[in-house]
Order: sequence, then structure tokens, then C-alpha cells
Amino acid sequence: MIRTNRQKLALTSALLAVAALTASSLPAQAASDPGVTASSIKLGITVPMTGIASPGYNKIPGAMKAYFDYVNDNGGVNGRKITLVIKDDQYIPTTAVAKANELILKDKVFALVGTLGTASTKAISASTQLAKRGIPSLFVNTGFSGFADPKAYPTTFSILPSYQMEAKIMGKFLKEKYADKKLALIYQDDDFGRDALAGFKQAGITFGTYIPYASGSQSLPATGAGWISKLKASGAEVTVLFGVSSASTAALANAYAAQFKTQWVLGSVGGDATTIAATNKAYVPLLYGAKGFSFAAAPTDATDEYIKLFQSIYATAQPAQTFDNNVVAGMSNAFLAVQALKAAGADLSRAGLIKAIESKGATFANPFLTPLGYSATSHVGGTGYWIGTYDPTGALKPDGGKYTVYTTDSGNGPVVESSYKRPAMPAKGLPN
Amino acid sequence: MIQFINMLLIGIGAGSIYALMAIAMVLVWRSTRVINFAQAGMALLSTYIGFELIQKTGNFWIALPLAMLLGALLSALVEILLIRTLIKHSSSGPVAGIVPIIATLGLLGFIRATIGFIWGNQDVQIQPPLSKIGFKFGTETIALSPMNLFVLLAVLTLVVVLGFIFQRTNLGLSLRASAYAPEIAQLAGVRVGAIRTIGWAIAGGAGAAAGLLQTVNGTGALSPDSLEFSLLLTFGFIAAVIGGLESLPGAVLGALVLGLVLAAVQIYISGTLVFIVAFALLLLVLLIRPQGFIGMKAGRRA
Amino acid sequence: MLKKRPLVTFILLGLVLFLASNRVDELRVFQGAAIAIYVIAISSIILLTGYSGQVSLGQGALLAIGGYAAALSRNHFGAPVWLTFCIAILVAAFGGFLLGLAAARLSGPYLAGTTLALAIGLPSIANQFSILGGEQGLLYDIGAPPESLGADFTQYKWFFWIASLAALMSIYWLRNVMNSRYGRSWKAVRSNDVAAELAGINSGRNKVLAFTISAGIAGLAGALLAMTISTVSPGAFPLALSFSLATGAVLSGVTTLGGVMIGAVTLVAIPEIVGSAVSRFEFSEMVANNLPGLVVSALLILTVLFVPNGPVEQMRARHEKRAER
Repeated sequence: MIRTNRQKLALTSALLAVAALTASSLPAQAASDPGVTASSIKLGITVPMTGIASPGYNKIPGAMKAYFDYVNDNGGVNGRKITLVIKDDQYIPTTAVAKANELILKDKVFALVGTLGTASTKAISASTQLAKRGIPSLFVNTGFSGFADPKAYPTTFSILPSYQMEAKIMGKFLKEKYADKKLALIYQDDDFGRDALAGFKQAGITFGTYIPYASGSQSLPATGAGWISKLKASGAEVTVLFGVSSASTAALANAYAAQFKTQWVLGSVGGDATTIAATNKAYVPLLYGAKGFSFAAAPTDATDEYIKLFQSIYATAQPAQTFDNNVVAGMSNAFLAVQALKAAGADLSRAGLIKAIESKGATFANPFLTPLGYSATSHVGGTGYWIGTYDPTGALKPDGGKYTVYTTDSGNGPVVESSYKRPAMPAKGLPN
Repeated sequence: MIQFINMLLIGIGAGSIYALMAIAMVLVWRSTRVINFAQAGMALLSTYIGFELIQKTGNFWIALPLAMLLGALLSALVEILLIRTLIKHSSSGPVAGIVPIIATLGLLGFIRATIGFIWGNQDVQIQPPLSKIGFKFGTETIALSPMNLFVLLAVLTLVVVLGFIFQRTNLGLSLRASAYAPEIAQLAGVRVGAIRTIGWAIAGGAGAAAGLLQTVNGTGALSPDSLEFSLLLTFGFIAAVIGGLESLPGAVLGALVLGLVLAAVQIYISGTLVFIVAFALLLLVLLIRPQGFIGMKAGRRA
Repeated sequence: MLKKRPLVTFILLGLVLFLASNRVDELRVFQGAAIAIYVIAISSIILLTGYSGQVSLGQGALLAIGGYAAALSRNHFGAPVWLTFCIAILVAAFGGFLLGLAAARLSGPYLAGTTLALAIGLPSIANQFSILGGEQGLLYDIGAPPESLGADFTQYKWFFWIASLAALMSIYWLRNVMNSRYGRSWKAVRSNDVAAELAGINSGRNKVLAFTISAGIAGLAGALLAMTISTVSPGAFPLALSFSLATGAVLSGVTTLGGVMIGAVTLVAIPEIVGSAVSRFEFSEMVANNLPGLVVSALLILTVLFVPNGPVEQMRARHEKRAER
């Protein structure tokens, strides 16, 4: 009898202790949005810093921070300095959600920026209920067209043109330039590649040979050689490759080993010369003569005012690292984020930021050569590509000597030559 | 016709790479009876050491045997420091099955992180010592290059040398006995602990060779998070199982079979089926003839 | 009290958890849900490996089966949430049954290798079929918490309640199973399957049963995991997950259910603790990226070296040694 009473007592005191300890951690009611003070703004990013998807992408946060620090050193945005909290999600959606929760609930960031990966972005958006909490997710690093739909993702904004857009523009180019040639297509057999197939279909182009590859298999010894063997047998004169850079590397290297000549047309994801150089410098000359697609100026183009600025900022911030497309992507992302924060005004709120991008986003100062499509009915960022040819150093030079950008949408809209004139860069690249 | 010959050559070429990994795995299994994820980590580390050696000496052919030696020493060190303690503490029960696996998994993570620390920021690339352009027959360039040929020769050499050691020498007998029946071996006067260390050393040396050769045969790029490496290990394991985990020639045969089947599927059917076919083959072998096509009968598998 | 009145203990434990969740901030509540899910998943390994002696390195694949089954049944048939969990358990159990049939003939490295191959291969299968959503995955939305719990009741609290309830129920049920004659026959087969056969136990059937039950529980964990990230995709069940679960089982002590909380809490707490410790110091990027991995691996190796049977078993052994004196 006494024992039971003692047990009851023990249990009750345990309960009270738990209640007392945790009552002190009740959150105080916030008057303004978290992550904003009179002098600072806190942003958060989840990105693979380690793990199999990390090479290349793990340079993005460092690049973003370099630009943010530059802005901070020159007065910040409307007097506020920006801090970027970086979390490693190893490209795993469960980890991405856990890290996003840390950013939102523990670090109390004002907004997420540059989330990487379609599956991770989807998981974060659904699980942390970004829409319900009104937390902006700016400029996500994925080509999935769905994130541009404000009805499905009211607080999320795309930045990269979608894969469908790229395939449509590519299809038009192929039709015009290589109408009578034998075409072949190597593509990754997953959502990424299938989006491209949909785009090619919309462009009304068909290929003589289709070579799909299982995502991941491009790194196996026999795969690249197998592609070249098939291409040789089919006599392909123009070969399009819509895959990741390890696939382009495999294709180019094996074509060289088999002494197989074809006109290569590389998609923007796989055509990154700097990633190929990071794999093996000896492969860069193999790009010579291939066609490539991009929506920003080439990282080697020092005549572009944005590239020049970014190069000098990055050289001071990260002297040991090479300046490549990932760095350009990161710094451009940070640049647009700063433009958005500036447009949202001194009285900074989450809702205000979203409104600012929707109403003024299309006219932001913009490092890309494609126009931005932000509006109240669409959260799409880049909408176009320019076409170029690789020179022997792996630099992509625009065809015709100047950047001619073609734009389209992710649906049935036509591909048109854009008349967009990129606004001049604000003085010193700062939000004045 | 040309495409068929090329397919065979491609299959054999890929198979020889899988064979390198499979040999290392069978070696580890035969001399230690532990599924050893750490061996993969040590092969990776040895490859990085090989990279440093090439930087210092400028010569691949000096660096290769040196890297193998260092890989062997490293493996032996790990065995002495880590595995002996492990075996002492967990020699029986269900724990004996899973704990060593987890320990070697931890070691793999540790090695990966260490590699990231030391070499993380650099672009680590190893250029191939031999040409990768295929030999020419008239106007046709076939899918066999001097580099491919060397890998094949290396595989054959390894199998012959290691097979000789295991089957024809006293060392080999002690190795097999210590792994399979350690108590009996001890009774027979074999110094089981030292022999096990030697077994790990041999596996470490072979692993270093495997790592270096597959790197130069591939893109030449090294990274601690390389997808390529993990995939090759998986396929090496599948190859080893097909041939039988107990047999070195079996491992090579299994690897060649795997390479040829996958090449045929990729060229004549579709490249999207590569993983499915590989795993289906693995499951098929495990269900129908788990000891592999060369391996011995049931009793040994326990 | 646990031995005498287990049901009461579990109910009281449940009450404590539910009351505590009201007072703790949201991040901890979310992490609490993650811990509950790990408890379920790790216990499935303890059953399979600790009790039945079969090493599986691919439990993640069974979680994936459960997760996908739950998501598909909800999206295509609009099944209520509790039913999706049941479907997840049944489908995963069936998968485990098939795996068990295959596995009954294998042992040691062959079994481990097969399960490993499954863990690697399953995500790529999900990538191939568009009905499984491909790499982007499927949505799995269990809906908002019921109105009756009040407007303040956040979704994470709802996840925590569901996950904790599921964990309590599974552990309670599992404990009964392991103490029953099935549990005893598993232990017998594990120690010496020849002797067990002589005693009349069909070891093949036992192994299949162990796989089936273990898989069903893993399937439940998978469905709950999908619930917390509101999606299911191949990337959510990587090889690393299978390894983490095996690690958690070893840290808990793979032969006994008692320490399962230790493994679960460690899996959730250590990465966060190490991560925040690292971010407190201004390390270079290279160090900051690799230090967490280094520390976690080092901790794992040390634990496995010095406490290989798990802390609970270690304490029990020490008790027995003292009693013997």
C-alpha cells in the first residue's frame, strides 16, 4: 500500500518537474516577423555540403555569403546587415526537412533562400507548412516548373528556367539549324530527362536514336562506351545530350577514345565546362566545337559587368577556390535576394517581401541575360536561354558574337527571340 | 558485326574493373570473415596517397607499387588497433554478426571525413599513364585501348599471384585456416593474430591497386563523396557473389559475366535497365546457387 | 513496476509524453516525433537481428515500402490515415515475407549482401515508374489536426502524438511477442539452429516469421516518416538510413528491447549537438563540413569497441557478475 503511494508520489513529482522545466521554454509572442531587427536580417539555406550530390553545389553557400558580406561592408540593405545560416542536408529530403525546421524554429530565420533539390524543396514546403506560416522561400535551386505556381506554392519563387523551357528552345534551334541531319538524343531517364522529352515534343522535334540512361549509371565503366558504340552504329551527325555533367564527361571522353566525331549539343546542366574541368582538366579541350546553352554570361566573360564584379568579390573572399558556374549561380541568387529585400522597403515583413517580388520582380536589376517573369500570377524566374559554341579553352562563346536570348514558357507557348534589354548594373553592384 | 565485337570488348573492359573490386572483397572475406566497409575507405585513402606520390615523383609506375605497399601497411595498422579489440569484446552471439559491420562502417565514415579534411578543397585528378584511345584495325577504332589492356593484365596477374599464395604456400594455408577455423589453427601452432594482420595487409595492397587503376581507367577524378566509387563497390560485390565469395578466379569470372551481360543489355536493349538487371542477377544467383558458380558446397558458408 | 503491470506503465508513459509535448517548443516536438519513429524502426532490427540472428543491412527498403504504400493508398483511394498505416504494415509485412523466404536459405554475408542490394536497388526502382512519382516523389498529406484539439494545436504536435502512440503500441506489442514462445524459439534458433530443430522448432518458418513481423513494423515506421516530411520519395530512404538504423540498433544493444530509446535519441541528438557545436566556432568551410562526420564516426567506433553489447546488456552483465560473487 505504501509502495503504491510512493510510486504515485514519484510519478506526480516527475510530472510536475517536467512541467516546470518546460514551462520556461514557452515562446514569447513575436510582434514583428522573426529574423529581422533594425540592423540585421537572417536568411537560411539547406544545400548538400557533403555526400554524393555535393561536389560543385557545396560552393553555392560560400559564394552567396561572399556577396552578402560585400553588401554588408557597404552599408547593408536599407541599413540592415545580412547573415546566412548554412545547413547541410546531404541531398536527403528527411535531413532537409529537419534542417529547415532548425532554421525556422531554432535559428528563426526571416526567409529561406536557394533551397536545393526538387524532392527536398517539395518536402520542406509541405512539412514545415511554409505557405501557412507565410515564410518566403526565395529563388529555389531546381528546374522543376511546379514551384512557379503561386496557387500551389504561394511563398516560393523559382529562379532557374525550367527543363521544359530549355528543351523547347533547343528543339527550335535543332529544327532550324540541323533540319536535314541525323539526330540522336542521350537523356537521363528520370523526371529531369522526361521533362526535356515533353519539351522536345512540344517543339515538334523527333530524334533518330534515343539513348536513355539510368540516373547514376553514367559513372560506370561501360556506359559511355556503350553510348558511343550505339551512336557509331546509327551514324548520328548531331548528338544532343540532356544529362548531368558526369554524363557529358563520359560521352566526350569515350567519343575521343573511339575517335568518333559528331556535332555535340549539350544542355545547360551537363555543359558546365568548369565542372568538367574539375573532373579532369584534360577533358576540357574535348568541348571544342560543341554547342551549349546558358542563361547567364559565361564565367570567363570578363566583359560582362556582373561577371567582372563577381570575380573581384569572390577573389577577395575565397582566394583558394576557382570561379565557376556554381559561384555565378550562388552570387546571382544572393544578388537577386538583396534586390528583393531592398524593394520590400525599410519596414520589412515576410508578406511585404513576397508582394515586392510579385509586383516589381520583373524589373529588378538582374545578373542573368534572360528576363525574369515574376508576377502575381507566376513565380517564375528565368525564362530563356542563349546559344553558343565552346572554344578550345572550354569557354562558351555566343553564336553571332552577341547574346541572343530566346524565351518561352513551360507550357504550349511559342519560342520567341527576346527583346529584353538587361538593366544596367547599379553602381558597384550595391542596392542603392 | 563491329558493334558485337565492340560490345564484347566493352563488357570485358568493364568486367575487369569490377574484377579488381571483387578480388579485393573476396580477399578480405577469405582472410578475415568480416564484411568490411572500411576496406573501401582504405582503398580510397590509398588512392589519394597514390595521387600524392604521383605529384612528388611524377611517375605513375613508381607510385603504383608504393601506394600498394602503403595501403598494405595502413590496413595492417587498422587491424592491430581496431579489429583486435573488437574481436576480443564481441566474439559470440548475434552481436558478432552485426557489430563488426557497424564498426567498419564507422571507420569508413571516419576515413571519408579525414580525406575531406586533408584534400577537401582541391581538385584531385590523376591522368592516365597509358593512352585511352582504342587500337585501330584498318579504319575501325575498336573499344580496347592500351589502358584497358593494362587493367586486364593487372587483374590476371593479381589472380595468379594471389591464387598461388593462397593455394600453394604455407602462408596461404595459414591464412585460410585462421579465417575459417581460428581455434583449430591455433592448436596447430598458427599465430592467428599475426596471420590475420597479414591477411588484412594483402587485402589493403590489392585494394590500393584497385582504387588507383579504376580511377585512371575512369575519369581520373577523385573525391571522398564519389558516386562512382560506391557504385563500383556494389557491382564488385555482385560480381563476387556471382562467382562465389570463396574463390578468386570465381570473382574474376563473375565480374566478366556481369560486365558482358550489362554491356549487352545496354547496347541491345536499354541503358535504363542496368541497375535492375544487375540486382536481378544478384538475386537470381543468391536464390538458385548462393555459393556462386565456382564456389564450394554449403558447409563453408556459415 | 514494468514487470508487474506493463500495460499501466505504458499508459502512464504515454500520459507523461502527451503532457510534456504541450510545454515544449515546436522543434523539440518535431524531434520527438523523429525519435518515436526511430524507436519503432530500431526495434524492428532488434527483433530481426538481436532475437532472430539475421543480419539485415537494408531495413530502409522496408521502410520505403511502407511509406509508398501509405502514400499511394491515400492519394489514389482517399483512405483515412489510420487505414493507410495498416496498409503500410501489411504491404511491408508481405514484402518481408517474400524476403524471408529468400533469406531463409542464406546466412552471414550473403544475407547481409542481399539486403544491402535491396536497399540500394529499391530507390532506383522507384525512380523508374512514374506511378511512384519518380525522383520528385509523392505527396503524403495526413491533413490538419482535428478541430476539437483547439486552434493552437500545431501540426508537429499532431505528428508527435500519432508517432508516440504508434511507438508505445508497437513496443508494447513487440515486448509481448518477444516474451512469448515465438521469442523463445527465435532465441533458440539464434543460439544453435541444429539443436533447435532437434527440439522440434522449424527454423526456416521461424526465420520467415521474424522477417515478416520485423518488416511490418518497419513499414509502420516508414509510413510515419513519410508523414513527418509530408512526402515520400526515393531520396528519403537512402542507404544511409539503413546504416543509421543498424547503428542505432547496435548503440541500443541489439539483443534487447530495453535500450531502444538510447539508440533513437542518439541518432537524433548527436548530429544536432555536433552541428551546433561546430557552428559556434568560426571554422573554415572545409573543417565545418567534415567535422560533424568525423565526430559522429569516432563516437560510433569508440562505442562499438567498448560497449559492443549495448549499455543495457552491459549493465545486466555487470549485475550478474556482482551477484555471482
